[in-house]
Amino acid sequence: MISRRDFFKKTIHASIASTLMGSLHSCTPSISYTQTLSGPNATLGHRLRSMDFGSIQKKIETEIVIIGGGVAGLSAARFLKKNTDNFLLLEIGEETGGNALGGSNSISSYPLGAHYLPIPNQNDPELINFLEEANVITGYENNTPVLNEYYLCFDPKERLFINNYWQEGLVPHEGVPLKDRDEIRRFHEEMNIYKNYIGIDGKEAFCIPVARSSKDEAILKLDTITIDQYLSDKGFTSPYLRWYVGYCCADDYGTTLKETSAWACIHYFASRKGKAANASSDQILTWPEGNHWLIKQLRKTVIPNIRHQSVVFAVNKKTNGFSVLYFDAVNNMSVEITTKKVIMATPEYINKRILEDSSNISTNLDYSPWMVSNLTVNGSLTEKRGETLCWDNVVYGSQSLGYVNAAHQQLGASDKKVITFYHPVLGSDTAAIRKRTQSRSIDFWKTTVLNDLKKPHPTIEEELEEMNIWIWGHGIVKPKPGFLSHSTINLERKMNNIFFANSDISGISIFEEAFYNGYQAAQQCIKSF
Amino acid sequence: MKDSSSSESNKFQWLLLLSVFVVATCGLIYELVAGTLASYLLGDSVTQFSTIIGTYLFAMGIGSYLSRYFKNNLLYWFVSIELLVGMVGGFSAGFLFILFEQIVYFRLLLYSLVVITGTLVGLELPLLMRILKDKLEFTELVSRLFTFDYIGALFASLLFPLILIPQLGLLRTSFFFGALNVLVAWLVAYRFKAQLNSFAKLQWSAFVCLALLVSGFILADKLTTLSESLTYPDPVVYTKSSPYQRIVLTKKGDDFRLFLNGNLQFSSADEYRYHEALVHPGLAALKNPKKILVLGGGDGLAVREILKYQTIEKITLVDLDPAVTELFRSNQSLKHINNNALASPKLSIVNQDAFVWIRSCAEQFDFIVIDFPDPSNFALGKLYTLAFYNQINKILSPDGAVVIQSTSPFVARKSFWIINETVSKSGLLTKPYHCYVPSFGEWGFILASKHELTQSNSYPQGLKFISKNSVEELFSFPPDMMEKTSLYNTLNNQVLVNTFEKEWAAYIK
Ligand SMILES: Cc1cc2nc3c(=O)[nH]c(=O)nc-3n(C[C@H](O)[C@H](O)[C@H](O)COP(=O)(O)OP(=O)(O)OC[C@H]3O[C@@H](n4cnc5c(N)ncnc54)[C@H](O)[C@@H]3O)c2cc1C
Repeated sequence: MISRRDFFKKTIHASIASTLMGSLHSCTPSISYTQTLSGPNATLGHRLRSMDFGSIQKKIETEIVIIGGGVAGLSAARFLKKNTDNFLLLEIGEETGGNALGGSNSISSYPLGAHYLPIPNQNDPELINFLEEANVITGYENNTPVLNEYYLCFDPKERLFINNYWQEGLVPHEGVPLKDRDEIRRFHEEMNIYKNYIGIDGKEAFCIPVARSSKDEAILKLDTITIDQYLSDKGFTSPYLRWYVGYCCADDYGTTLKETSAWACIHYFASRKGKAANASSDQILTWPEGNHWLIKQLRKTVIPNIRHQSVVFAVNKKTNGFSVLYFDAVNNMSVEITTKKVIMATPEYINKRILEDSSNISTNLDYSPWMVSNLTVNGSLTEKRGETLCWDNVVYGSQSLGYVNAAHQQLGASDKKVITFYHPVLGSDTAAIRKRTQSRSIDFWKTTVLNDLKKPHPTIEEELEEMNIWIWGHGIVKPKPGFLSHSTINLERKMNNIFFANSDISGISIFEEAFYNGYQAAQQCIKSF
Repeated sequence: MKDSSSSESNKFQWLLLLSVFVVATCGLIYELVAGTLASYLLGDSVTQFSTIIGTYLFAMGIGSYLSRYFKNNLLYWFVSIELLVGMVGGFSAGFLFILFEQIVYFRLLLYSLVVITGTLVGLELPLLMRILKDKLEFTELVSRLFTFDYIGALFASLLFPLILIPQLGLLRTSFFFGALNVLVAWLVAYRFKAQLNSFAKLQWSAFVCLALLVSGFILADKLTTLSESLTYPDPVVYTKSSPYQRIVLTKKGDDFRLFLNGNLQFSSADEYRYHEALVHPGLAALKNPKKILVLGGGDGLAVREILKYQTIEKITLVDLDPAVTELFRSNQSLKHINNNALASPKLSIVNQDAFVWIRSCAEQFDFIVIDFPDPSNFALGKLYTLAFYNQINKILSPDGAVVIQSTSPFVARKSFWIINETVSKSGLLTKPYHCYVPSFGEWGFILASKHELTQSNSYPQGLKFISKNSVEELFSFPPDMMEKTSLYNTLNNQVLVNTFEKEWAAYIK
């Protein structure tokens, strides 16, 4: 009876056999694939710098103007729509989405920026309400939300290429000395304490949104030092732990250990307390196109109010409100909107440029540049040993963050796939780094991406069909030590009939912050009538 | 005096020529083994065979060239090399089987082995010619030597496909010839120990080699179950690598067996048990079933059973792999087995991923048969998740039923009950059952419906396994197949795949 005895072994073999077949076919020496290099709003953004928009050719009126159609702007719009239809959202891009844009080709849709949402915390009712609307929360079991199975990240979630082996999970353990593993465990225990820590004001020490976190001085002290300092103070020296924590900072903020506020870094570990009936709190929600999926849900009801390719170049105070000037690139003319209120969902470096009265706008925010590359590969990637392809695939010791497999959330079998490679451009002299990042050639990025991917996938170049490079000049705001005091000031900033919504004013740029700031701004705006 | 010396030299000569014959046979066998293995593992047998044989011949050239560096003790070298050929060749198949998981180096290893065997075999002939050059006239020598060499090759090439592979399998064949090689080497050494000053050493080496090869031969079965996907117990009559899987059909007497990626799908000798048990308990219990959906099951065997109901108007079969449905629609013997079910005018075939298909499906079905491969990897595991069964629930008509092949409740007890729990989590009432299929062992199914089902009193005519009496027993589980579990399988946890893997691993051990 040969029976089905050793089939799973065989399945492994079969997949290896097919890999071998694949590599046989790809022995052709000529390597050709299409490649592109682009970024958000390249041309219109440039004009914003030179401000050559000509004279006003058209005048219109509305009650409220939202500037910027990222998560924050769309969240504000979604909230407004429930109260009024008398508003416009102006977005410079051909599509709304901002840092949560996505793209697609014939194989799959894929993210260009933000790509996941943690399990939502229960103390954010507005977010919960939106997720119900979007059918991300499909019901409740014992008061705990049931999340849509299709949107939870499928198993297996993540793997790390370390010591020439793909281990399960991102916390280094394969071939890691006991002493280091002990330190990693101790670090996580410490983070767990912070997770449950309640400040003397009765608030959670680390909360999403940031605005609801405790103002307990004992906790806020963590914002006066870097995480690097924190680790040294606590005697954490393991290179494996330091790599891991560094990876987390780079992944969330595009910062190094030496730049990141200890509070911000700990926030990453200690703020995710969401619960679900059908998932543990370390699981996440994701879609092939990343958070662009959430964008599509957010904008569902407000599409008629959106004006695309509309770059706002001035917001001027008028006696009874504001005059918002924008260039309409679709009709190639400048337009003036007279409005009562303005919601600024644009980042601070834009606000600074377009607000007539910009004295309140912070000048000390820094943004890390990012390179995101989408690669279309045919067949199965030639693999090293260990865990099979996961959603998130990281190479230990790399400056890059590895790649996410867009096909992971697809149900059917497909032989081609699109993988999204993330690379924050690290360094403290942000302005210089941004300049360099934006002037790099496509070949430079290609080499960066391929050199990293060749470690676990030696023949990836032969499997490549398409490679798109996307550069974010101002990717994510950097939470450097002291950022919390700015954040508090910025979040509480009051200007007559101008409301600020972008995630960068929280100091931590994540979907939840953008969403929260957006509806907060819209709520205050409605209230102020 | 002269006579005796000439008869002595005659014996000498014949023994050496015999060993040429054996070396030639063995050498070719090793290459055939390598070629077969390569085409099994890498596909594209034409390329594999021609590159392997080409490399082998070239390596023989290298060997011939190198033979010039052997100056003295030719007989000693001849015997040692023959021992070496036996060891390298004999173990090559086993080696490749075990190591082919090392993908990156597999081809390197394969061709290195081919080159080594080729070189060693290539050394033998020139050495032998030089040993015999004083004993025979040159014309005679060349004629005899090459005759034996080529006869050996013919012998090997006929023996290999007709007798060796069917009888011994790849592994045993190569061990067997390895041992043969060593034996002949020892025989030569023994006969001419007078001319060898290191006979004892050679004899010991031969002994050790032989012991190793014989144990390899005996343990080959273990090795096979340990790591091969490819030696089938019966003669292979059809193979095809589709983009999704490797399809292998074997035949022994009247028994056809289908393997997908090395997993037995059915044996024609007892598949009726499996397919009757899969279809009839559920389908016969329905009032007036009209629309049927079969997911997986591209072999048409479930469809054959379904067609036994007159009320049925339409059957939709969704199977990922067109290569499978095509095979079972066109192959004469297979058409005979499935009663030409795939040609039924009531049937429409969709070649698509079942999950993708059911998500966009707007129809409802009275009876749904789910016959997927076992959840042995994450991709298959998706087809056993709550999300999948929720969708099944949607496309199941209010009075309909669904049946799911659910692996072995004996071997993978927990897995079976996890599937049961997952199905009930989707809101369906489940009725698990099992039956014995000799080629599989105890096999399990889950029948599920929106209302309580009562078993039918009548079944189609001519069934060989299912009857009113036999059905009842199927629904009772002895304690060794029972397990309580609250775990259920979801896309984001895939507990089933992990459990399943552990359970079968433990069973194999
Ligand atoms: C590479 C990358 C990966 C990320 N990954 C994640 C992740 O996985 N999860 C997560 O939660 N967050 C992630 N983020 C953070 C992301 O920034 C936030 O989640 C969120 O998308 C920020 O939204 P926002 O609306 O606050 O800002 P933005 O998205 O920056 O929105 C600002 C909008 O204003 C528009 N605009 C700018 N100037 C003008 C003008 N003059 N006129 C009109 N419109 C203008 C812009 O085009 C843009 O649409 C990532 C960011 C990057 C860059």
